Amino acid sequence: MIMLSWPYHTLACFLFLLMMGCESSDRMQNSAKLVITGSSTLAPLVADIGKRFESIHTGVRIDVQTGGSSRGLADVRQGLADIGMMSRPLHATEQDVMSRPIARDGISMIVHQSNPVQALRNEQIIKLYTGKIHNWKEVGGEDAPITVINKAEGRGTLLLFLTYFQLQNIHIRAHVVVGDNEQGIKTVAGNPHSIAYVSIGTAEFDANHGVPIKLLPIRDIPASLDNLQNGTFPLSRSLLFVTNFTSTTLAKDFINFVQSAAVYDLIAQHYFVPISS
Amino acid sequence: MHKSFGSNTDWVACLLMWGIGSVILGIFSLVVGDVVWHGLAGVSWEFLSTAPRDAGRAGGIIPILISTGLLLSICLVVAIPIGLGAAIFLAECTSEHHAFGRVVRISLDVLTAVPSIVFGLFGYAFFSHMLGMGFSLVSGGLTLACMVLPILIRATEEGFRTVPNEYRLGAAALGLSRMTTLMTLLLPAAMPGLMVGVILGTGRAMAETAALIYTSGYVDRMPESLMDSGRALSLHIFDLSMNVPGGNANAYASAVVLIGLLLVMNTLASWVAGHWLKRRMFWA
Repeated sequence: MIMLSWPYHTLACFLFLLMMGCESSDRMQNSAKLVITGSSTLAPLVADIGKRFESIHTGVRIDVQTGGSSRGLADVRQGLADIGMMSRPLHATEQDVMSRPIARDGISMIVHQSNPVQALRNEQIIKLYTGKIHNWKEVGGEDAPITVINKAEGRGTLLLFLTYFQLQNIHIRAHVVVGDNEQGIKTVAGNPHSIAYVSIGTAEFDANHGVPIKLLPIRDIPASLDNLQNGTFPLSRSLLFVTNFTSTTLAKDFINFVQSAAVYDLIAQHYFVPISS
Repeated sequence: MHKSFGSNTDWVACLLMWGIGSVILGIFSLVVGDVVWHGLAGVSWEFLSTAPRDAGRAGGIIPILISTGLLLSICLVVAIPIGLGAAIFLAECTSEHHAFGRVVRISLDVLTAVPSIVFGLFGYAFFSHMLGMGFSLVSGGLTLACMVLPILIRATEEGFRTVPNEYRLGAAALGLSRMTTLMTLLLPAAMPGLMVGVILGTGRAMAETAALIYTSGYVDRMPESLMDSGRALSLHIFDLSMNVPGGNANAYASAVVLIGLLLVMNTLASWVAGHWLKRRMFWA
């Protein structure tokens, strides 16, 4: 039995640690905690804003969780989160929550840098995504089959894309379905004959940092953060916070902070555009 | 080996086997080589000991390492006793053809094949929501334990079954109780099986992202208690490479750390198992 004693000791230590953990969590409940979940587009930005908010307000914790716009809404409805992050507007059936815009973002069509196509008309993009155009030579490119990359169901970028081009997801003939923006960019960078749509900020950052992708204009307006900021770029969206109608003072304070000029530098660092400019 | 070079067909078969072996080695070297090549330069003491800044693009990974360690500890502390108990039940208390045992075994095999996102959604609905644990290390660790249990049980059960029946008969002949037989004879002999289960389970738990994104969450702050949300290392790598523009360098560096950790833990586990087996058998 001598040898058996050591795992029991380790086990006892672990259990002790577990109890310590639970105990300290009871103490933690005195300090305020804000749980924010939702859009993965917004999560890194809001996490950074949360850190700045924590540094000003001692004892406050801002927990940011990701998983997609629809999760943000579901968590707020179920009371799992205080604030939901959404990178798409609310549907008519989703008016049971309150929404506040916090930043703007646009989406850009991207192709590989080596692709000779410089621009696509909106009709061409629609035909390409509904499987009516199969080859790049039909739109002025080289003789190669087109790889169409679409976003997964529940993604804010997908919804904006569908709404702007008046498409339905069941009519889209995609070869690859991706989740996050960087995933779309990596897929295009690795496949010279593919086309995708991603958040402009992310695409501009990567294109400026040597990733072999090219941003295509929409209606002759170049896809850039400048054109997003001056409001001329057509394919754009508001990024939202959603809450229940009875939100806490802390949640209200945080939303006001996110909408204030004190975080414009962070919004710019994450390649979005502040809402009031 | 030399005998197999006798005829032409043997030559072909031998060449094919060597070829397959080389392909496996090639894939391994390619994956590990790519990660180490891109990531090793980013691993430094500063990277291992500071908190992430600027959404993980700058700074290090210390809170993420701590969270990963806590998640794994919770997972193993819960899974090992339950797993061991279930394996003893399956191997020692029921015969291979016992109806109840068979049902348990089939459910375990089904659970092994369940995709991790399903465990994630279960953990989200059950631990985070129903039991009110919220997004916390406890919730994530328990979800991982559910995921690891089937692998652990099946490997440990296999460990018990490989113990020759003569051991049990010999112990019975000496008049040892079943409990003593189990503790002094069968358990140490089945130890390698348990360790295989722990190694496989640890590997699966450390590589997990889908099950954790909905349970232990995304917060990259240093956890202050087990009820805090904490980001696992693999989730950090996933977010940096798939969601944060300019996060590639730190994603690679974190991947090097993850692979290093897995190698260290596997070596440690097999060393402990070997060591224990030798001393126990000698003492018994």
